[in-house]
Amino acid sequence: MTISIWRYSHLVLAVSSFLFLVLASVTGIILSFQPVSEKLQPYRTDGFDQARLSETLPLLRTKYPGITDLSVDANDFVQIKGSDENGEKLSGYIDPLTGKILGVPGEKNAFFEWVTALHRSLFIHETGRFFIGFTAFLLLLITVSGTILIIQRQRGLKRFFTKIVRENFAQYYHVVLGRLSLIPIFIIALTGTYLSLARFGFIETPKYSPKIDFDAIQSDPAKKPADFDIFKQIKLSDVQAIEFPFSEDVEDYYTLKLKDRELTVNQITGDMLSENKYATAELLTTLSLDLHTGRSSGIWAIVLALASGNILFFIYSGFAMTLKRRANRVKNKFTAEESEFIILVGSENGSTFQYANAIHQQLTANGKTTHVTELDNYKVFPKASHIIAMTATYGLGNPPTNAAHFRNKIEKHQQPNPVHFSVVGFGSHSYPDFCKFAFEVDHLFAKQPWAVPMLEIHTVNDKSPEEFSQWATAWSQHADIPLSVSKDLPVIKQERPHALTVVDKTQVSASGESFLIRFRTEDVEFTSGDLLAIYPADDHRERQYSIGKIGNDVQLSVKLHANGLGSEYLYRIQPGEKIQARIDSNTHFHFPQKAKSVIMISNGTGIAPFLGMIDQPTPNASCHLYCGFRDASSFGLYKSAIEQNLADEKLASLHVAYSREGEKQYVKDLLEKDAALIADVLSGEGVIMLCGSLTMQNNVVELLENICQTSLGKSVSYYQSHGQVLMDCY
Amino acid sequence: MSNLFKISLLFLALTFGKPSVSFAQAGAATKYKCMIQMTNYMGEGAYIVISLIDAKGAYEKTLYVMGPDKKWYNSLKEWNKFRAKKPVNISAITGASVTGGDRSVNTIEIDNSKINAGYKLRFESAVEDKSYHVKDVEIPLTTEGLAAKSEGSGYIRYVRFSPN
Repeated sequence: MTISIWRYSHLVLAVSSFLFLVLASVTGIILSFQPVSEKLQPYRTDGFDQARLSETLPLLRTKYPGITDLSVDANDFVQIKGSDENGEKLSGYIDPLTGKILGVPGEKNAFFEWVTALHRSLFIHETGRFFIGFTAFLLLLITVSGTILIIQRQRGLKRFFTKIVRENFAQYYHVVLGRLSLIPIFIIALTGTYLSLARFGFIETPKYSPKIDFDAIQSDPAKKPADFDIFKQIKLSDVQAIEFPFSEDVEDYYTLKLKDRELTVNQITGDMLSENKYATAELLTTLSLDLHTGRSSGIWAIVLALASGNILFFIYSGFAMTLKRRANRVKNKFTAEESEFIILVGSENGSTFQYANAIHQQLTANGKTTHVTELDNYKVFPKASHIIAMTATYGLGNPPTNAAHFRNKIEKHQQPNPVHFSVVGFGSHSYPDFCKFAFEVDHLFAKQPWAVPMLEIHTVNDKSPEEFSQWATAWSQHADIPLSVSKDLPVIKQERPHALTVVDKTQVSASGESFLIRFRTEDVEFTSGDLLAIYPADDHRERQYSIGKIGNDVQLSVKLHANGLGSEYLYRIQPGEKIQARIDSNTHFHFPQKAKSVIMISNGTGIAPFLGMIDQPTPNASCHLYCGFRDASSFGLYKSAIEQNLADEKLASLHVAYSREGEKQYVKDLLEKDAALIADVLSGEGVIMLCGSLTMQNNVVELLENICQTSLGKSVSYYQSHGQVLMDCY
Repeated sequence: MSNLFKISLLFLALTFGKPSVSFAQAGAATKYKCMIQMTNYMGEGAYIVISLIDAKGAYEKTLYVMGPDKKWYNSLKEWNKFRAKKPVNISAITGASVTGGDRSVNTIEIDNSKINAGYKLRFESAVEDKSYHVKDVEIPLTTEGLAAKSEGSGYIRYVRFSPN
């Protein structure tokens, strides 16, 4: 199973670093409580923000003559160090306005120290620091690849924060939380990497020694420290640390380490002796430390804790997803060369394989030779009689990674024997280009001379079991291979919960002609375009008919085949008789609610659903019907009803083609003449609906493709995926 | 009987013990402020020990330790041997380690009898994963030595003293 380079990198990076990531995340969560717990201490005073050096420094030097150092930490606690009058050590947090000692700094919390050492270096010094730094870098790459995966999944940067399709718990929250904690995790990874690079000297953070010209030092005019201009300008909140002059000597000076620069100040005159602005690298190191540790903001520290917690969840959910996907891997018993049934899969993340596998197992259980492979592995399958293509769509209607070359390969490799094909598209209506690639695959097959359409394309929205089972049921009927219920395969429906009573039926003079049959039912709500499934022989064999809703009745249009299982059964039953059957909602072929104009195209009995759609009042939509029949007498069955609709202005225009009479036209020929109307309808967000034989469908879709390409510059699959070309063919 | 014995012992201890302590404080020792200015080396905070060295070059007393964590003391190899041989409680003379470019000011106490008597002051330094300097600074413990600015050879740029 090939997966995209980003997904692969994302996984490989995660696998190679997860042990260190777990350790760093757990310790990181613990450490985020350090700034929070520190800030709870009461050493930050209200006057801190106002205090200026011109007030605080003289006050402290008078009160504590032995003071040597002052420092302001990330919590805005002001700490002094020095010695008292007895030469004993002096150390305490002070109030910068009164000089009062508020408390004595305790020992550093041994537990946090221990956890910090583990977080930074795993207790193995430089080696550990290297591993942790490298892990931070890998996390950075994981974040980047993850971001790209989200962008791909959401079909573009602009849709980054739109709804996420839920496949399962691990996948959904991996993406949802990934999006939310992306920025904090990116910051953690970036700052962690930066700090490691700085630590190992890859980023030069030059240290600086004040350059003072001692020969030029002045000792007058002497000023009081309270009057030093520099001290008046600088607030205590700008200060990181201050070194007091070591002695009274004029050559000993104040060193002011501010947030952005370092100054030295003559202790007698208050002149500035030197000034050094910190290098960008040094400022970045400080910023990185602030951001990485959360030391300067309790709220940020909590955000960091949550982000670290998320990393742990990502590790869990990421592996859960990976294991699930690996479980979908295919086990082929037969080679592609010896198999009669070929299942081709197009999948970006591997989830479509689970459906392919389910069918694969069922066919194998039925003693069929079956082979599952990727669409990109398409080649000549010498023994194939059936091809099933199951594919997702990726990005903006693009093929998934493992189907990127299918277009070229299907043109290149011609199958030696006729092969029945059926395409199942997996997608979600949450995305604009629903199953676009699947529609394309269907067209590609249809164009091949060896390809025999077996079913029209089926689409499965959001992995709907009902829709997949609809396809599986139809396929199983057509291939005449019973697919039984299994735990992997959604139940194939066989139940017939609805009772329908025949109310009317027309007569035919010979087989090959069509008849209309009406049923009445109170068991279920339905509408035109829904499907009636009947079981003529009361066994697994099912026949489906497209419903036209006339009044409140179910109307079918059926062609009587000699020895036709379904048609003979329907012709046999008489008005008043009751049958047990099932009406399946077929939402993808309902009359569009919003379209202003609708073109309905049918041949033969495919007119059935349209009869109902035209008959039901459809406000504001103008309907055009293009239908094909053998001859005028075949059309006669529907003529009076349709002419009534024309008279009632329910139908805007009617175009009938006769294939065996007069100009001997097909419905396609009528459409070709009205290409401009078709282009108009599509560009005006109108809808084209097709019902009838698969041959008609192939011809019409080919025509539509030409019209779309020449007049609209888009492929017909674009309109299919946007619900503007609807098909229900058989 | 035993109470009487204890009380007499206490009395003896008070009479003879107290004067000897006050004698040491008042007469025989002086406190100095000692400033260490570090070079701009890159890396972790340096562990530095100030020791009193006798005329034979042997450790006699530990005066100050910059570096709180005992697990790193073995990186100060020579001093650590002395510490192992003669363990004393150094918690009162222990402070923080010193980072490159920084300054550290501490108070050390030196017996007056050791000054100008052939003793030396040794500043020994070590940094995690970097070289170890037995004699980063070593100065003769003389009146001149304590007045001068002494250049270091390792992580220490210079050392200065001032009477407290």
